Amino acid sequence: MILLQGSGVGSGIAIGTAFVADTAAVETPFKFIEHDRLAAEVELLDLALKRTAETLRKTRAEVPEDAPHEIAAFLEAHVLMVEDATLREETVNIVYRESVSAETALMIHRDDLIKVFESMEDEYLRSKKDDVSQVISQIHRQLLVLKGEDDNRTEQDLSEYIVVAHELTPADTVLFTNLEMRGFVTNLGSRISHVAILARSLKIPAVVGLHGEVRHIPHGAIVAVDSHSGQVIVNPDEQTLEELTLRHQEYDRQHQRLLAIRHLNSITLDEHEVTLLANVELPSEIDTALESGASGVGLYRTEYLFMNREQSPSEEEQYESYRQVVQALNSVTIRTLDLGADKQVDGGRRQGKVATNPALGVRAVRFCLRSPDMFRTQLRAILRAAVYGKVQCMIPMLSNLEELAQVKATVARVANDLRKENIEHNSTVPIGGMIEVPAAAITADQFAQHLDFLSIGTNDLIQYTLAIDRVDDEVNYLYDPLHPSVLTLVKYTIDAGRKFDKPVSLCGEMASDSNYTRLLLGMGLRIFSMDPAALLEVKQVVMSSSVEQVVGHVSEIINCQNSLKRLELLEQLNRMDSTGRSAEAFA
Amino acid sequence: MKSGNIQVRNKLGLHARSAAQLVRVASGFESEIKLINGAKSANAKGIMGLMVLAATQGTELELRIEGPDETIAYETIQQLFDSRFGEDE
Repeated sequence: MILLQGSGVGSGIAIGTAFVADTAAVETPFKFIEHDRLAAEVELLDLALKRTAETLRKTRAEVPEDAPHEIAAFLEAHVLMVEDATLREETVNIVYRESVSAETALMIHRDDLIKVFESMEDEYLRSKKDDVSQVISQIHRQLLVLKGEDDNRTEQDLSEYIVVAHELTPADTVLFTNLEMRGFVTNLGSRISHVAILARSLKIPAVVGLHGEVRHIPHGAIVAVDSHSGQVIVNPDEQTLEELTLRHQEYDRQHQRLLAIRHLNSITLDEHEVTLLANVELPSEIDTALESGASGVGLYRTEYLFMNREQSPSEEEQYESYRQVVQALNSVTIRTLDLGADKQVDGGRRQGKVATNPALGVRAVRFCLRSPDMFRTQLRAILRAAVYGKVQCMIPMLSNLEELAQVKATVARVANDLRKENIEHNSTVPIGGMIEVPAAAITADQFAQHLDFLSIGTNDLIQYTLAIDRVDDEVNYLYDPLHPSVLTLVKYTIDAGRKFDKPVSLCGEMASDSNYTRLLLGMGLRIFSMDPAALLEVKQVVMSSSVEQVVGHVSEIINCQNSLKRLELLEQLNRMDSTGRSAEAFA
Repeated sequence: MKSGNIQVRNKLGLHARSAAQLVRVASGFESEIKLINGAKSANAKGIMGLMVLAATQGTELELRIEGPDETIAYETIQQLFDSRFGEDE
């Protein structure tokens, strides 16, 4: 049994047989052909081209309607590539000139084309070699199928299978879904890449971003995919399988139970009101947020609008998206773009190529201030959407007050432009900041004086404070939300907000983990913004906690010098019943 | 024959999607349509050739059209380039 960890996307769990799909470029041995049989090779090539185009067209027609429109556009471009007369002509020429098989000719031509693309100076155009390579691989595979050298995977029934691949193109994903695959697992991809978005719209469980670990999954192995935890279990034993099934049923049961507290006020036993908000990324998550009973959106990530596409979304497109969320949930905190120049493409593919350490590079507010046109467009869309409800604007990754001053000046100018253009907008949108750079947390009292609200982004705050890259598996073990430095910075930020009477929320993963709910309540936090799927569980903890009882234990946990002991203290805090007694005496 | 220079104005240049658009438009005409970038020349009815031209923003291309509908074809393609293939910038 092997346990692999990635990012879970889609919904539910799936157990099935591993179907290792070789979606990477196909390589076949160089094959010479007798002269009198070359014409037959060309006939096969024509048939393969025809079938590949047909398959792509069919796939194009089956792209779900709510999938990003770019996916269909890519598939259309792929069809044209397959049908390109010069692709056929060149390949046929090679067949006759070199006396080789159609697939060998195709490989030679592919390598020539890739060389041409690789010599291009423009990075964007250069990246198009991936499209060429994907398209030719599909034709190649079709040829092998025609020659009976490959089982016809494109038509195999996959209803018993979990597809395992290095990478799945959107076309592959739609195709495999139509063959009824149970779920899929990939090396590449992230929560917001094409395939993840597709998995969500297709409602199938998947784990993406396994960073090379896919090689541990042999063809034919039994694989369990858990979209909740992001775990992939290879050849699970009986007991694990049973546990997994039970866990899945438990998710469902617990969810049903928790739904009962959906409409109750989130208030502690000693009557402290706590605001529970949802983090929302995709429009499809609006429904989940509503179902969870969230009183608003505390973090609306706008990155998805900018990902997986070639150009920034227009003001109208952004305005429509923001308005939709504001009208559905009334109170929404919109975070301005939190991406770097290196990340505006499909997750994983080009990441890391530009900056060696993108987390410390030009991203978030730094990127926005350097791309004034793009930033102004986004701010215009936000101010316009703010007519429809309570909207706040949140700036990520602030590290000094000059950046904030620049942002405020830009907002003022945008509001002025809109006024002059007579476009309906709200010029009094509160401007808040993410406190996620240690520099901002340490000077939180300065930021609190200039911001309308503060929101602690613990994911980055922890990564920056402890100097660990969370995607680097080698240092992952150092990631510790309970580290005294982290808790001190969080506490300090909450106190700064209180001192200057500015609301402070916490929107990192810590807010979604009900193990930390009591501790954070004790530290003075009253606004939690989280993954809507976790909201009711956190609410249950809020409703069964007393601030008065937990507040006394906070400093003991913050000041504890032993990490294991800290965990133990936290557990005791969480076990306390309504009378303040723990199962054991509080140490 | 009609010929002249046209400029690639859209930010991303002649890439898969804009090239696809050009192929669709060009294929609607009977004339032979060629685009030339320095030593490289491509048939505007084939996407691969267009992508291989590596025409980035600002590139001047020579457009050569020969056939019965060359005038209308020239104007239509000129317009497509001028409209930046419907892209924002």
